Formats: sequence, structure tokens, C-alpha cells
Amino acid sequence: MNAAAALFSHYRRHPLQLGALALMILIATMLWSGMDHLTDQARSSLGRAEQSLSEGSRVIREDGAPLTVADFARLRRAGLCVMPWLEVPDPDGVGRLIGIDPLAAACFASGSQSGEQPALDGEPFIDIARAARLAGAQGDGAGSLVLLAADSVSADRLPAGYALAPFARGPDTGELGASFLLNLDALGVLVLLITALLLRAVYQLSIVQRRDSFALLHRFGVPGGRINGLLMIEVLVLAGVCVLPGVWAGAQLARALGEGFGRSLEGLFDVTLYADGSQWWRPILVMMVVVLIACLPIRTRRHWLQRSRGVGWLALALLAIGMVWVAGSPGLVWTFVAVGLVFVGAGVLVPRLMAGIMAALSSSVDDPLGRWRYRELGVMARQLALPVVALQFTLALVLAVQALVTTFEATFEQWLDQRLAAHWYVQVPEGRSGDRAEDWLAHQLTSDTAAWHRILRGTVMVATGAGSSHRVDLLAVSPVGPLMKQWTLQSSLADPWQRLAGSQGVLINEQLALRYGVGVGDSLALTLNGRTQSRKVLGVYADYGRPFGEVLVNGADLPADFQPEFESFSISPGGRGKAWLVSGLQQIWQVPEIEIRENSDIRTMATRVFRQTFVLTRAMTFLTLTLAGTALLIMGWVFITSRAWYLQLLVTWGLSRREALGELMRVSLGLTTTVSLLALPLGVWLTWVLVHRINPQAFGWSLPMAVYPGFWLELLALSTVIGLGIAALMGRQLRPGRMVALPANQSGGGER
Amino acid sequence: MNARILVTAIFFFMAGCSDSGDDSGFAGLAESVPSPSDNGGFLQPGPDVGISLPEDFGPHPRYRVEWWYLTANLVTPSGAPLGLQWTQFRQGFRPRDPAEAPEPDSWSLDAAWMAHAAVSWRDRHWFAERLARADTGAAGAEAAPLDIWLDDWELKAMSGTTWQLNVRSHKPAAAFRYDLTLTLRGKPVLHGQNGFSVKSDSGEGSMYFSLVDIDIRGTVTIEDNTIPVTGQGWFDREWSSQFLKRGQQGWDWFALHLDSGDKLMAFRLRGEDQTFVSGTWIPEEGSPQALGNEDLSLAILDSRDGYPVRWHIEVPGHNLDLQVAAPPGRYVNEGRFPYWESPVQVEGNRTGVGYMELTGY
Repeated sequence: MNAAAALFSHYRRHPLQLGALALMILIATMLWSGMDHLTDQARSSLGRAEQSLSEGSRVIREDGAPLTVADFARLRRAGLCVMPWLEVPDPDGVGRLIGIDPLAAACFASGSQSGEQPALDGEPFIDIARAARLAGAQGDGAGSLVLLAADSVSADRLPAGYALAPFARGPDTGELGASFLLNLDALGVLVLLITALLLRAVYQLSIVQRRDSFALLHRFGVPGGRINGLLMIEVLVLAGVCVLPGVWAGAQLARALGEGFGRSLEGLFDVTLYADGSQWWRPILVMMVVVLIACLPIRTRRHWLQRSRGVGWLALALLAIGMVWVAGSPGLVWTFVAVGLVFVGAGVLVPRLMAGIMAALSSSVDDPLGRWRYRELGVMARQLALPVVALQFTLALVLAVQALVTTFEATFEQWLDQRLAAHWYVQVPEGRSGDRAEDWLAHQLTSDTAAWHRILRGTVMVATGAGSSHRVDLLAVSPVGPLMKQWTLQSSLADPWQRLAGSQGVLINEQLALRYGVGVGDSLALTLNGRTQSRKVLGVYADYGRPFGEVLVNGADLPADFQPEFESFSISPGGRGKAWLVSGLQQIWQVPEIEIRENSDIRTMATRVFRQTFVLTRAMTFLTLTLAGTALLIMGWVFITSRAWYLQLLVTWGLSRREALGELMRVSLGLTTTVSLLALPLGVWLTWVLVHRINPQAFGWSLPMAVYPGFWLELLALSTVIGLGIAALMGRQLRPGRMVALPANQSGGGER
Repeated sequence: MNARILVTAIFFFMAGCSDSGDDSGFAGLAESVPSPSDNGGFLQPGPDVGISLPEDFGPHPRYRVEWWYLTANLVTPSGAPLGLQWTQFRQGFRPRDPAEAPEPDSWSLDAAWMAHAAVSWRDRHWFAERLARADTGAAGAEAAPLDIWLDDWELKAMSGTTWQLNVRSHKPAAAFRYDLTLTLRGKPVLHGQNGFSVKSDSGEGSMYFSLVDIDIRGTVTIEDNTIPVTGQGWFDREWSSQFLKRGQQGWDWFALHLDSGDKLMAFRLRGEDQTFVSGTWIPEEGSPQALGNEDLSLAILDSRDGYPVRWHIEVPGHNLDLQVAAPPGRYVNEGRFPYWESPVQVEGNRTGVGYMELTGY
């Protein structure tokens, strides 16, 4: 047998350990590369949304009907440079594909100022024939035709029946988009960190078990350098074999989570997630490096961190600095750095704290068995420091994310109830005005049980006290009636709705208030169609899930030449039937079809979008928890195997097998429960950071802070299951015939 | 013949290629196509196909390439010469029966269209190119009444002998338009054998006929300067599936209006080791006569910018000894496949005007 075969024979004796290690690398790679894939796509989609193409024009039909190929031909034959644009969901992946006609796009080069054809090659751009086939296969509504207009197309050159409209594929998300990506990156880094800790822990144990093999090989003349080299080859091969399927599985994970993630992006930033060719080599490279770093320097002496007393104080200082820093950090990056400091501090402190507590407890009891139990727990806390810290981080993360999502869910439901107060919603068709419909509804809906208002949306320039101007969304409502008055305001003057109805001011959303430091009673200078008016802020309303500032005005205050980007009516008909509304509006707008959307449909859609928004976050935390739990289980098992000789002593001391098993169970449950309890304060603190620091900085809106002790119990139960699992595995070691007397120097960890 | 087949350029454009090099000839026109016996292959032209009018003014979706091509030698009121070209090409990617047009909303890419327009005046040259996907309605051709269009460029029959051509280029660098009325005189001239014009010793060729006597009136607007014009035009109609033989790099083509009222069409195809020469002598009175290698010679006298711009053309059998020259200037249609397209002046033992097309240089 040569040196390599002797070294690697360890895994022949411990195939499950090899399998566990491989499984961990695979799952970790899947988690991180899936996350990375989606983040990459989001980054690319946000980038594309900000490209110049998003600021172009499109041609629409004045009768509001959808565009067809016949419209395209008609416009082209009128000498207008228009190109078709057909977006469809990518059936084989994540995001959307854009069908274009390269032949029709050619005129954009000759008609544009720059003389350059827009770069439309490669995914997500595909030939429009393929997009049309996909749209056909996916059913109605899978894609609607847009006709983009070149710079040379002006409104006066359009044939009768057509108009120009802005083609905006997404507003400027600016820093918020970057913050969103930073959030994802941070979650990815945390997953990577937890993974590295777990890998290192599991591999370290296998190395401890192989110390005698190394010593024997050395005695037979194999130099230490060669042993190190062989170990490096072992890690490289293991990483190579596991990382590749892991990256493949990551792509599948990204695909599975893609729809929800795409909706997040749409819901948060109005940005469509486009399919994109991903760089397959990057996750492979990153994971190979992580595995190497986690596993290779393993044979160095025990780290000074575990020995030096000063380290404890340093960790405590880091923890304190991080906590203070988070409270006052100026931006998201600094918040993450501060959170990192707290995690490092907690990571170093927790195993020491646990060992210290156990040492103190063991000194305080007279019962030898109790003393043994606490001592054994202290040893476990030290020996399993890395997986214990990883499990603690994961539990804290899961707890915080759950609190955030549950709080958001509750708040969102409440918010929906307020916002969706009407029974029906009707969008004014493109090319039509709501003026006559407003008059008609005012005459028709006079009963006390009926309520309605007209909504116009656009943008407005807002000048704040600091002298700077910003473009924000404009929401105009008229008449200001009962449908609005249930809105919860975060702060307001007395009778804000009456004052709004009386045109005495405006309301603003929380995002605008936070971002520009505007409060109730302040004056805002609003510029619309070149005219500026000063308006008092009557109140601030919560506006969850939107990144942009918004001003709510009375529709009656809008200038007559205001051109809305969107117009609709919210109607509670008070006993009138749908047919009445349809025929009335058809007559007014002269369109063949009127689409009335039910309150329940919109609510269902909004809730679905909301739920999918957090699919990714939840899935990632759940999978990380699974990974951490499995790792601790494996670690506990391997660790206990190495301490079998000590466990045997319990029986030697006169305990029955059943009693010895009971003691083992108490030890393992003690470990996992302590980890969970120590994770609680970290989790609650992290919830606070997410709700009060990261969320406003990343998305522009905040939520009320809430904690959910019921979920703490669930996590505690999960820890108990892991503890019982470890105990069950330990119990196998106490079976008759399994006991092997080991000299102390062969016992794993070397502690007694 | 003409700048033909830049159509194929579209194919290369779609395939992401930009070079016409190697054996595939100018604009890929020597690309092999499946034989008609292959399932789904394009038809090949031949001497037995014959010309049917007016049907053959319309498209031939079972053939791979075809074009409608007009050149005009016009004069302004001051007597200054003004040359003009309009060509529309169709490139098929899949052969199909004429009655089996795909649904427009499928955006099917069975074929693509390309149109070229150029004006040559006072030693300057303006050129524009348009592209379109077939079967959307933005581009197409119909035989009767004649209508060939791509976007807002259109050649349309107003009556049996009157056509209208409207072209406008909005390109900032080449803003021009022309609105012309064409009055057709004389019968269509069938080239080669019964309209089958051979292009190589091995028999590749195309179906080819021309209207060689067209009176043209109208206006040409160049950079906001509208000029009334009159003159004579030459209209070609040609289609094929295998236009060039492999190894043929390009061609030099001439359509000449002699002051005597006679016309001459002549071309040579340049191969690796030999050239193939052909033409048609169209006397003012009497029947057109096909000219072969032994009847016709074309020799280069001078070159400019790499293009042979002065030629010696001889047809001994009809006592023709001509010097044909392009006016000063650069007359390259700078489209996806650049080629030379210029009016020419004829001198020698006859005088006249005409058009010259040089490809593959």
C-alpha cells in the first residue's frame, strides 16, 4: 500500500463521513450558486432597465386596442421607423425573453442621432418568430406586442388613430436597486461564511481522527510536505467532484425560485427580470476557493483565538462597537460591516461563554454525574465551536427573517384592506379621458351606499426646503371621499382628509418623508407642467413595498393640461349592477370592451405577488438551517464516536445502558438548547436591524417591529430534534460489542 | 443583371456574418442550395421554365433569390445628367408554395426583403438601404396589378403601361427622395435561351427578362432641392436559386442605351481561372439576339479606388467598338455588401448612356 492509499483509506473505514462531507459541499454550492445566479440576473436586469432604450418612445393605438402585426406594417408603410418588441416568459429558465426583429431594427441605426443600432444581441434578445411561438404556446396574455419608435418618429408624422407614449421598462432605481443587490450579496456572503465554518468543522474532525495515520506515515518515512500535498489533492478532488453537480443543482434552484424572485424585482422596482447568460465558471471558482480555504490550513496548531484570554475581551469590544455602529450607520454598507462585527464578536464569545458557564456549573454541583455532564458539555462547546457558531448564526438569521416576513405579512394585509376599499376597479383605456366618466359617475352614484373616486397617476417635481428638486410619483384622487378615509396615517394634522378635499394641502408617503426629511406642516413646492405651487403637508401615509416617493393631491387641483400616465376609477356601486357600469362606460369611451377588475382578484394577485416576494429569502434561510442542522448532527455523531471510550466509562461506573443513554441525551439536548437560547438575543437584535436599519436603507420604507415567541418555540423544538438525533447516534456507540477501549491519546480532541 | 443578390446579404446578416469572402461568391450567391429533388429544396431555373407574364412580375417563393431592378439615365432642365437606381430583393430561407403564406402574427422568417436606392448627380452619390421581414405586410410584391413595396418605398402600376416609383430616404447622411412616373414602351426582352440566362459553363443561371425602353418623368429631391427630371430607364426582373457557380467572385454588368435607339446588355462573371461573358443585343428594329463568349469582349481600360471604371466593349458581329466610362466620383453603394453602381457615358463608334454595376471587388 502506498502513502496515498494509506491516507485515503480513512474514508474506506468511514464512508458516511466522506458522504456527509461531499453532501455538505454539494448543498453549500447549490445554495450559494443559486443565490449568485439570481443576484447576477437581477443586477443585469436593473442595469438594462436603466439603459437608454428604456427612455424611448412607443406607438400606441388611440382606441386602446392591442397592437397587431397589421399596425406594424401600416406604420412602416407610412415611412415610420418602428420595431416590434415582444416580451415572453422564458420557458427554460428564469426571467423574460424579448423577441425583436433585427431587420426592422436596422432603421434605428440610420434614424438615430448616434447612428448606432441598439445592442440587441444575445439573451434576453431572441428572434421575434421564436418569441411569437413561445407566446402562442404559453397561451393568451403571455406577451403583448410593443412597437418601439426611433428618434425620427414624431407625433405629427403618425397616421390618424395612433399616438406616442413613453417606453419605460423601469424607473431609475438608483441607490435602492444597488441596495437591493447588496442585500442579496450580503445574504450570499453569510451563506458562504456559514458553509465555510461547517465544512471546516467537519473536515477538522476527520483530520483529528487521522492524526495517528499521519504519525504512522511519517514514521515510515513519508515527509510532512508530501502528506500535506496528498491532503491538498484530496481536498481538490473532493471539491471538484462535488462543486460541479452543486453548480448544476444551483441553476435548478435558481430556476425554481426564479418566478418568485422575478416578482420581487417587479414588485419592488418595476423592473422585469430578464433571462441572461450566466457565467458558469464563477460559482465553480468561488466554491473551489472556499472549500480550499475552509479545509486546507487545517493542520496548523490550534488557533490563538481559542487560547488567548485577551481574545474574549476583544470579541466583546467588537460586539459592542458593532451594536453601537449599527444604530448610527450612515449607509447600508456600513450597516453590514457593523453586523459583521457583531457576528464575529458573538462567534468568538459564544463557545467560550458556553464552556465558561459549564465549568462554573460543574464546580457548583456535588453530584459526580452532574459534574461529568457539565464538563462533557464544556468540551463539546469547545470541540464543536465552529458548527455551534454556524448553527447559532443560522438560527438567528432564520428567526430575524421570519419576524420580518411575518410582520410584513400582517402589515401588508392591513394596508391592502385600507387601499382596496372599493368593489370594482376600471382602467381608462389608452387614448381616452376620464373627464366625462367622472361627470357621469357623479350623476349616477348619488346613494349613500355608493362611493367612488377617480385616480390619476403621473410624476411631479418636488422642491424641498434644502433647495433641491426631485421627480416623484403623483397620485391624484377626486373626489376625496369615503374610500380614502380609512387609510392609516403615520402622522397628520387634524382632519387631514377634509383639508385635502378642501385643497388645503397634500399628503406624502413615508418614502418621500424619510428620504427628503419632510414632515407634517412643512411646505412643498410642487412643479407640474411648468407651474409651481406651494402646498402644506397634511399627513404622511405608509406605502409598503414601493421604493419611490409619492405625493397625494386632490384631483381638482391638477392643471387642466395635465396628462396622466395612468388613469382609473375605484367604484363601490351601492347596489348597481356590473352591466350598468359596462354599458355606461362603453358609451362614453366608445370602446368594444370594458374590463372591470374585482376587488378580490386584485387582492389575490397582490397577496400572491407579496408571498412570492419572500419565497427566495425564506427558501434560502430554510435551506441554510437544514444545512446547519445536518452539519451539527454529523459533527455530534463524529465527535461522540471519538469519545466512545469516555462514554463507556459511564457503564463501567455502574450505570445501566438505559441510564447512560439518558445522560447522553441530556448532554446533547443541553448543547442544542443552549445554542438555541444563545441564538435568541442575536436573532432579536438582527430583527431590529432588519426592520429599523436595513429595510429603510434598502427599500425606503420601514415596518413596525414585532417578535414572535411562538416561532422561538418552533426553533427550540427543532434544536431538540437535532439534540435527540445526536443522542440516538450516540446511543449506537453504547451498544454491546461496539465498545472499544482506546488509550487517551487516541481520543478525538485530546481533552479528558 | 444588377447588384443582385445582395439579398443574400440579409441571410448573412441574420446569421451574424459580415464577410462575403471564400467560395461563396459576392454576397454568398454561389452558396450551394439543395437540389429540387431534395425534400423541401428550392427550384432551379432552366431553359424549359419559360417566362409567363404578368405572373413573373410577382414573387417566386419556390426560388431562393430574386430582384426587381430599375436604373435610369435622366437629365435635369439644365441638361445635367442624373443617374438613379432602385432595387428590391427577396431572399428566401425556406421554399414554399405561393399560396401558403404564413400567418402574419407568427413573424415567420421564411424570407427577407431588402431595397436599395441611389441617386448620382454632379459627381456625387447618395445611397440608402432598407430591410424587412417577409409576410408581415411591411414589404412584398404582387404581379398584377404590379406592386412592389418595402416600407414607404413603392413601385406600383397605375395602368397597363404606366408605373409610379416613390422612394424617400430619411437618413441624415443621405436625405433624398424621388417620385417618378414610368411609361413603358416596347415588349419585354427575354435574355438567354427563352429567358434562361446562363451564368457559367456548368450551366448555373437565372430567369431574366427586361423592359429596356421606359420613358421617365418626375422629380428628384436631394437635400431639400427638388429637381424636375426626364429620361430613359431600364427595368430588370431576375430570379434564381443558384445564381453563381462556386468560385465565381462577382460580376461586371452593363445596360446601355445607344443614341441609335439600339440597346446592349452585357456582363462578365469573374471566376478563379476563367471569366464567363454573355449579353443581349437589342436592335431598335428586329429581335433581340443573345451574345456569347465568342460574340462579345469586355476589357478594362482604367481603374479608380480599386474598381474598373473605364471599359472597352466590342461586339464585332454588330460593328460595336465602345468605350464605356463612369463619371468622376465614387459610386459605391455602401450597404451591407458594398458594390459599384454608376451611370456611364458611351463613346466610340456609337454614343449613348447607360448603367454599370461592379461587384465582388
